[in-house]
Amino acid sequence: MMSLLRKLASLRLTLVGMILLAVLAVIASRRADVDAGVTVVPLAILVINLLAALLTNRSFRAQTGLLVFHVGLLLVFVFIGLTVLLRFDGHAEVLQGTAFDAAQVETVDQGRWHDNRLDGLEFYQGEVRINYLPGLNRQDTHSTIEYRTGSGELRRVAIGDTRTASIDGYRIAATFNKGFALLLQWSGDDGSEILGAVHMPSFPEFDWKQVTTWTTPAGQEVELELDFDRPVSSDTSAWTFGDTSMAYTVHVAVAGDAPRTLQKGESARLEGGAIRAVDLRVWMAYQIEYVPFLPWLFVAAMLAIGGLAAHFARRYLPATVPAGTDKKEDALAHVARA
Amino acid sequence: MSLVLERQLVLVAVLLLAAATLVQVAGVVFGRSAYRPTAGIYTAVVAVLAAAIAGRWVREGQGPFLTLYDILLSNLFSLAVLLLLVTASLPGVRSATLFASPLLLVLGVWLTGVSEIATPLPGAFDNAWLWVHVLSGKLFLGLNLAATAAASVMLLQGAVPSRRLAALAAQPQETEQQIWALFFVSFICHSVMLVAGAVWAHSAWGRYWSWDPLETWTLVTWLMLGGILHVRSTFRNLSQGVGHALMLAAFAVAFLTFFGVPFLSIAPHKGLM
Ligand code: HEM
Repeated sequence: MMSLLRKLASLRLTLVGMILLAVLAVIASRRADVDAGVTVVPLAILVINLLAALLTNRSFRAQTGLLVFHVGLLLVFVFIGLTVLLRFDGHAEVLQGTAFDAAQVETVDQGRWHDNRLDGLEFYQGEVRINYLPGLNRQDTHSTIEYRTGSGELRRVAIGDTRTASIDGYRIAATFNKGFALLLQWSGDDGSEILGAVHMPSFPEFDWKQVTTWTTPAGQEVELELDFDRPVSSDTSAWTFGDTSMAYTVHVAVAGDAPRTLQKGESARLEGGAIRAVDLRVWMAYQIEYVPFLPWLFVAAMLAIGGLAAHFARRYLPATVPAGTDKKEDALAHVARA
Repeated sequence: MSLVLERQLVLVAVLLLAAATLVQVAGVVFGRSAYRPTAGIYTAVVAVLAAAIAGRWVREGQGPFLTLYDILLSNLFSLAVLLLLVTASLPGVRSATLFASPLLLVLGVWLTGVSEIATPLPGAFDNAWLWVHVLSGKLFLGLNLAATAAASVMLLQGAVPSRRLAALAAQPQETEQQIWALFFVSFICHSVMLVAGAVWAHSAWGRYWSWDPLETWTLVTWLMLGGILHVRSTFRNLSQGVGHALMLAAFAVAFLTFFGVPFLSIAPHKGLM
């Protein structure tokens, strides 16, 4: 048993694991057909190797800083592994004036063991303000949302840039992606009345192409174009995204028919019913994320760094003092600070 | 400060670095220590670049964090400061300026050819972790450069037996110890940079790690640094030259990661959206 542990603890195996990790990381980042998940293999080798070394290698007993560093490193590997298994990462667009809808979430990545609780997630989208400087340079983002905390208290926060909201363990972060949405009323010939929103392409990224296709409840495909009477964004001066009070026109085009234009409040007849342009809103895209061990990952990394510093102070610092100098502190002050 | 004056200051710094390089070469040719004149020139470089950076900072209302020009300017300054401090306090690695000076000169010449137009910083850059990330990164590069340049001089001494070259590091044992101490501290700084970068990326871009080329190559650099320290522990009778050659390889990767990768790819690190 002990001899097997010693073999597993081989420092040569550590080097193999490190080289493999580096090579696979580069390959995975350069080739679309290789998933970064392949790095799990060298990580697993390193974890086993390190566990065995921590149990058998005498170097660690004599050098506490080194021990702390490697224990921190082991914890980093373990927390990364747990995060990969438990995490959730997704995107959702939420319309101003409405509540978040779990059905709209597009999953980017979901760990094997993730217990999806998105259905229970509730928040309401308020006003959005994003300031731009000339050159379409995005500055501060303020997206107001409302939600209830665990204790039932109603909270209203403006998230954006470095501020996020944490609801039921999920982290809600504003992304750069946002745009306008047309609120449309469908009045079907069958008597049905439906109020809904059509999200236009991301703004100002697709400022020049605010067009989308939409299928009416009666099954007809319609092309909708949002046309502002005056430019909303500017390349040469500062402006703010989020205002919806400006004048606009909606162009409704159907294959084989002359296009029609609608102002706010006007209607157009289509197959099986009519649509009315009710209002202009904005939609905001969020990253919805669940990364349970993130704070612990950070603690483990700091532990590792502290261990490294201690190891340096014990093993390297004394050796750097020039022979015959007793002003050790002076000579090495900058190294110690660093 | 006007842009014209800023450009002129940069030009002065480049000329000073050319002078430092010449002084270093002359030191080898004449077999004399060039430490004092070099330290004087580096002090002038630091002062001139500090003035250029301060003037730019005040004029643009933001620090030099974003464009290639910003990165080259701030790194030239931090590298010069660190080389000055390291050679002042660790006499064993004073020879580092022989190779560091021409490298700084190359960065300086590159800087003169790059567009100096500033891009406003996106809101996500307003974050304390970014400061930790940037400062630890600069410390890493400066300390690692000092170690690697001194190690390269020892490699040269090994390859070309010459009394003049030998005079550059009169106490090889002390030099060797100081080189590895610097290398170790640079590894600590690199680790801090990696962690702070991940924390910042998470708060700014909602992801702490996404395998973009810059992140991947930073991880490769970190593994190389740790791997080199391991190689020294694993193979106890490793020759000095092999250790130095490995150090040089790691520095090359770090240098390309700092100055090559961010400007060839991907928006997030440039913060443009
Ligand atoms: C995962 C498996 C690993 C094992 C089994 C392992 C084992 C060891 C051992 C036994 C030592 C002590 C050597 C001695 O003093 O005789 C050591 C030192 C060290 N290890 Fe690791 N290690 C591992 C991973 C890593 C990683 C991933 C890094 C960083 C990239 C790292 C960085 C270091 C450093 C910096 C030292 C100190 C070397 C010195 O004092 O110069 N180790 N390791």
